[in-house]
Amino acid sequence: MKKKNMTRWAMIIPATVVLAFVLLYPIGNTIWLSFRREHLLRPTMNAFVGFQNYSYILQSSDFLQSLKVTAYFTGVSVFIEFVIGLFTAILLNQDFKMKAFLRVLVVLPWAIPTVANGVMWQWIFDTNYGALNGLLSQLGLISEYVNWLGTPFGALNSVIIADIWKNCWFFTIVLLGALQAIPKNYYEAAYVDGAGFWKKLFKVTLPLLKPAIAISLVLRISEAFKAFDIIYIMTKGGPANGTQVLSYYVYHTAFESLRMGRGAAISTVVTALILIIAIIFTNVLMREEVDLSA
Amino acid sequence: MKKLNVLFLVSLLVLFALTGFSKETIKVISSDDFAAFRREVIPEFEKLYPDIEVELTSVGYNQLYQKEVTSLIANPKAYDVIDVDCIWTPEFVTLGLLEQIDDRLTPEMKEEIIPSVMTILQYGGKTYGLPMFDDVLFFYYNEKMLEEAGLSEPPTTYDEFVSFSKTIMDKGLAKYGSVWGWAQAEGLICYYTQLIGAFGGKFFDENGYPAFNSGGGLEALKWMVDSIYEYGVVDPSSITSDDRALLHGVANGDVPFGFDWSFAWTIFNDPEQSTQVGNIKVGLCPTGKDGIVSNTSSGSMGFAITKQSEHKDAAWKFISFLASKEMQKQQAIDYGAMPVVESLYSDPEILELHPEFGPMLSQLSYVTDRPSLVSYNEVSRILQIYIQRALTKDMEPKEALDAAAKEIVDLLKEYGEIN
Repeated sequence: MKKKNMTRWAMIIPATVVLAFVLLYPIGNTIWLSFRREHLLRPTMNAFVGFQNYSYILQSSDFLQSLKVTAYFTGVSVFIEFVIGLFTAILLNQDFKMKAFLRVLVVLPWAIPTVANGVMWQWIFDTNYGALNGLLSQLGLISEYVNWLGTPFGALNSVIIADIWKNCWFFTIVLLGALQAIPKNYYEAAYVDGAGFWKKLFKVTLPLLKPAIAISLVLRISEAFKAFDIIYIMTKGGPANGTQVLSYYVYHTAFESLRMGRGAAISTVVTALILIIAIIFTNVLMREEVDLSA
Repeated sequence: MKKLNVLFLVSLLVLFALTGFSKETIKVISSDDFAAFRREVIPEFEKLYPDIEVELTSVGYNQLYQKEVTSLIANPKAYDVIDVDCIWTPEFVTLGLLEQIDDRLTPEMKEEIIPSVMTILQYGGKTYGLPMFDDVLFFYYNEKMLEEAGLSEPPTTYDEFVSFSKTIMDKGLAKYGSVWGWAQAEGLICYYTQLIGAFGGKFFDENGYPAFNSGGGLEALKWMVDSIYEYGVVDPSSITSDDRALLHGVANGDVPFGFDWSFAWTIFNDPEQSTQVGNIKVGLCPTGKDGIVSNTSSGSMGFAITKQSEHKDAAWKFISFLASKEMQKQQAIDYGAMPVVESLYSDPEILELHPEFGPMLSQLSYVTDRPSLVSYNEVSRILQIYIQRALTKDMEPKEALDAAAKEIVDLLKEYGEIN
């Protein structure tokens, strides 16, 4: 018995050591850094400062602005992505001729690297040479070219559109997988009881998709909450910091201003926020048993 | 016999190792802009010094500062030679990243290199590197469009700049009068420096406190905002373009006016990148105030040797090779870069191939430098954001500059740069 135990431990140890190095140490070090003033360019000023970094952040208008931008970006993009993803998943779950081809097609945008996607949309939105202005003016919808990325709010919405185009298919793929696991006879029974499309959606499909929805939402929300690459490529946080999401704020503080302590404090706050959101979502959506009697 | 064989093999190995190691490798980091030229001449340098090997890395200008600082702080020996923009010198010297080179300067260098360009790598009376080109923002105008609009001369004041733009736009020759690089990046501060000097303002007063939020500094920003919304002569996409992106507008003939660095000339006259070959001329940047002839912003860069480098002699050979008269001449001819060697400005071969150097040279007498501060990078970032707030009409110009001034004072106080 004892020998068996030893073997178990021996087998776990290598993975634990690796994880300790690549996960526990960086996380612990980040939290430790967040209590220090650690300025790469002013090493003489480095010191332990307790909660000073945190109190600075919470009072800073930049942080509040970034939090708002991030919340808007996450809320709007994930919600629209979810709705598009759900309905395309339902559509692709039907029997029709092009089904297999379309299923492959939806994976394509999702498989494009974010950087390539960002550059592509940057050109689509370009004021003078962009495809969007070209299309809209040829259709006669606009008389003058619009500078889509030129206002803080316009740029934010443009980045959201680029993000939706790429990421809504994630929901399609996950939800389509879950839809295929729902037995057909549930729908037949609902049909016999006289349920229409919407009733079937709300009474059968959605309740049975709950676990898949919860997992995909948590994954996408936490991903959108820390979005960085698409912002870096398309707007660099501008104009006038209108698209400076929290991750970009961390990047700017830690790697452009080289204030490591403050940067670590912001990323700790961001991590805590994502953790809270994830806990709420998994609890609300996954706790209840699925009940089809209602 | 066997023993002898082994001995022979071992000595052969040692010999190989020695010859391998005797070749010194210097690591150089450069901005993308002139990396092509530098890469091109490395074989020539290596032929001259067969025992030195050059390893050149290049990144875009906007990533350069961060790449250099983080690499050198993590590993002080990461590079032997780094590309330094004039605004970084005070900070890099204070951080102890650069090797002082006063003792290495030869009498010819002291005589040949233009003194005002040499200052970009000087701090506290000491020299820390050699300039590689002498660059400012030049005023490029489309002569053909001006003629078609019935205008004989380029504008000399910003009022004329606006009215000429309107004339050209009214005749349907161009969509806008000009496009600028006012995106949230260092280029924005260069353009603001050009205008602040033209409107007679300055960044800081004698005591080191911000002075840009009144007088010429405020007028410059007001003009920027008005030129977009009030006069409608500046392409609004200027808010999201940088000094690389605006080249398209001028090269395509979409706008008659643009301000950019010397390398723009080569692009405007390259048939593969431009439809306006031969039409673009260089004029003096306009002025915004009586008594000021013209003003532009400097943007020269140079190579410096890192303090912890183990190959300082080899590194010096490389940078003095690039600053030599021959290389400066080749760089001017092939890439249109303004040379740092004074005598080259009267070189007949260069002048024949680059007729624009004449008017460019006259611009060099009207230059304002960006502020020289140890914490320049953070100060610049604050200014960029607030100027953008005004440009996107999120704030009034006065309100934005006041807010920027307040944040900059807090920052400079934190670092003890002012009391």
